[in-house]
Amino acid sequence: MLAFKSFSKRFALGIVGVGVSFGLSLTPVMAKDITIQVWAGGSNVNDSYRVDAITMAADILEKEAAILGEDLNITVETKYDFDGWGGFKQAVTLAAEANKAPHIVVTGHEDIAPWSQSGLIRPIENYVDFDTWPLSDLFENLVEIASFEGTIYGVPQDAESRPFFAWIPHLKAIGYSKADIRALPGKILSGNYTLYDVLDDAKKIQDAGLVKPGYGFYPRVSKGGDYWQFYLSFGGEMSDSKSGKLVFDRSAMKNFYTFFAKAVEMGVTRKNHIGTPWDQWYSEVASGKAGLWHGGTWHYSRYTGKEGLKDFFGNIVFGLIPAGDKNGRANTITHPLVYLVTNRGSEDDAQIAAQLVAIASEPRINTLHAIKSAHLGITKSQQNVPLYANNRWASEATKLLLPHASAMPNHTNFSPYFDAMWKGLEASWTGQKSPEKAVADVEAELRANLGNDIIIR
Amino acid sequence: MSAKLGYIFIAPALALVVLFFLAPVLMTGVFSMTNMSTATGITGGSYQITPSVLIQLGDQGFDRKILKRIGSESYSISEKGLLAATKADVKTELVEELRERYLGETFASRRLFERFLKKLDNRPRSIRTLKSTSPHFRKSLIKERFASTKELLQSLEEMDLGLTQVQTDELVDASYTGWIWTGENFRKMFLLPETRQILLNTGFYVASTLLLFNIGFALVLAVTTFYLPKGQAALFRALWFLPRITPSVLYVLLWKWLTWDTGFINAVVTNFGVTPRNWMLDTAANAWVTVIMINGFIGASMGMILFSSAITSIPKQMLYASEVDGANRWQQIRHIILPQLKWPILFITVYQTLSLLTSFEQIFLSTDGGPGSSTEVWALSAYHTALDNYWGNLQYGYGAALALVLVVVGVIMSLIYLRFFRFDELIKTPRIEQ
Repeated sequence: MLAFKSFSKRFALGIVGVGVSFGLSLTPVMAKDITIQVWAGGSNVNDSYRVDAITMAADILEKEAAILGEDLNITVETKYDFDGWGGFKQAVTLAAEANKAPHIVVTGHEDIAPWSQSGLIRPIENYVDFDTWPLSDLFENLVEIASFEGTIYGVPQDAESRPFFAWIPHLKAIGYSKADIRALPGKILSGNYTLYDVLDDAKKIQDAGLVKPGYGFYPRVSKGGDYWQFYLSFGGEMSDSKSGKLVFDRSAMKNFYTFFAKAVEMGVTRKNHIGTPWDQWYSEVASGKAGLWHGGTWHYSRYTGKEGLKDFFGNIVFGLIPAGDKNGRANTITHPLVYLVTNRGSEDDAQIAAQLVAIASEPRINTLHAIKSAHLGITKSQQNVPLYANNRWASEATKLLLPHASAMPNHTNFSPYFDAMWKGLEASWTGQKSPEKAVADVEAELRANLGNDIIIR
Repeated sequence: MSAKLGYIFIAPALALVVLFFLAPVLMTGVFSMTNMSTATGITGGSYQITPSVLIQLGDQGFDRKILKRIGSESYSISEKGLLAATKADVKTELVEELRERYLGETFASRRLFERFLKKLDNRPRSIRTLKSTSPHFRKSLIKERFASTKELLQSLEEMDLGLTQVQTDELVDASYTGWIWTGENFRKMFLLPETRQILLNTGFYVASTLLLFNIGFALVLAVTTFYLPKGQAALFRALWFLPRITPSVLYVLLWKWLTWDTGFINAVVTNFGVTPRNWMLDTAANAWVTVIMINGFIGASMGMILFSSAITSIPKQMLYASEVDGANRWQQIRHIILPQLKWPILFITVYQTLSLLTSFEQIFLSTDGGPGSSTEVWALSAYHTALDNYWGNLQYGYGAALALVLVVVGVIMSLIYLRFFRFDELIKTPRIEQ
């Protein structure tokens, strides 16, 4: 009965609709109905604004269109529950081969290189104006990261960076004053506190019995972009800005490997540290079981949430990853996600998709995502949005870290380079090879594998 | 008539073999001869002259003057552009303004040109019109995407670069974005030092799991349960079946609870003063022991069942007779049971070698090839290369080449086994029946 009622209601509505649209068709107002699909990878419930921002943007764009006398109806279909990054990327690429890719994808910036070559994505600069607000307000280094071969392909969706952390009570116990601790981030930035100072402090903390042996300096437990930061700390470069080719810097790589070998030799880092379960690692660093370590800005929510750290700022001081020697600099690596517009649909569809992305990047809308998911913002004026400005972590981390952030290069062959770097690091870390031998082996592998794509110096 | 019926009966199976075995193998063969990846796509490519294409051509010794001309992005207000704009319904006032006041002006990039357009009296009022106006005045090839060779050649011709045929071909080849046929994968496989490591890992993994567990331990289980009372034997066999019937994710998770720093083993051994460590990933040796046990416990049950049933089919009289002759248990096993198990042992060896070579899910779930790449086996490495690459560019071509090696090795191994165990003699009709 109910079904019949709703059917007859729909039927009546349909007749009215047909009548109205027939009447309207005599007027110049044209109705345009469009469905836009948005998929976001690597997301969970906390990241829902990655896709919900597009729905909000659709509402605004429809209203703007109505004011201009256009009848625009946008239906936004969203999806973010994929089976990890791997599952997401497979889903997107396979859907694209079948011409069924979503109109907008949110993914890591590394996908720009392969996806632009295969034609899966359109250059977003062809559809939106980067001289107009809000895109003109994006951090320049983030826009750079969303570009490939001189073309802007994507709009940054969020940012993070990877800070260096130290446990304040331990620093105090080895003689740091309050003022010293406050000055530490600045000392790191200016290059006056280097990675070898980190090892010295780690040793002192350990010798004072504050942490167990091997917990003085407690780095990331698995392969990750974080480790490139230490290569940069010793003056390495990942890619050549002029030619876009990858760069392998022998001496920086050797110094980077030597640093970790030295940490193991001094006993401040465990030889079998790699492979420690993440859960164990998080609970240890958030409870003062480690002296100095490094992580990501998103760790804040884990430390203060699941790990139950009450007073973050009273216990932890953070800064850039220190320089290794005078050739290098203090730095941090960011891995922004980007909005990309795919080759699905007509030029008009792409135009609308790109406009939605631009609106979704407005400071207020983006701030919802940034604060909900503990990421950093993408535009300068987000510092003026109360929700953002009143969040101590977001605003301090943005000010201190983001201006110095670089990213891993967008290059189709970065992956094999990454693998080779990691193998060499593990070999020197665990003492299977001397740093010199490890560097020589990595070089041999890169020559065979990448040939002309990499500059070896 | 009966032959026909036979074919009809076998047809569904044949179709499945073709669909799920022959076709994938063939496709693997085809893919392995290409450089297919996420970047090249699978269905074909187009043409795009990017800055790196120009650098690559420069490295090859291409005329740098021409490259410079192709590489300079420029926008100019020309009659041709104005005509094209008029045709595409760009506002007449804007076209007139451009013609009267700015004819002949050039701009070094799209951004500059669009900034200029935005300052005009009759400027495009929406971003949409702005973006659709600028392409008409574009004068370069760089960054542009062409769907076919024809389109690219046409645009090259319009540039009037005076290219020779050889140069044109080089340009077309270098700017192609799709996949090409190549034997490079196999050359690379031969050159890369990691190939040898993975090969050794695979050999070690297959041989140890097979000998220690799939055959060795399975025999021990079959023989010992044979001498047990029936009920108890059934119970033990059922217990050893658990690893096989537990879902792999759950089964490996149990191993993780057992071996992790905070896991069961450590909870026990710390009482004896042993420092806790990750028994699965601490060293390569730890990882191998775990990986082989995880796989072996699953593999052993299959051999156990086959060997057990083979043993029960041995005529009891032979065992009674041997006991009358004073043989002990070991002599019974050595001289009666084992010789009669030749056929099942052959079968398990062949079957398990091939299945160990290609199965990797337990390794993937437990160590994922670590620590370092010490437990990375061939099949896992093919999977990582083709479908699970850390930095986005999946290498279908190279992954397929790795997988193809497995197919070839599998076929060769089967042939060797058949010879070695004299398979044909085993299936010969017994003399008594001839």
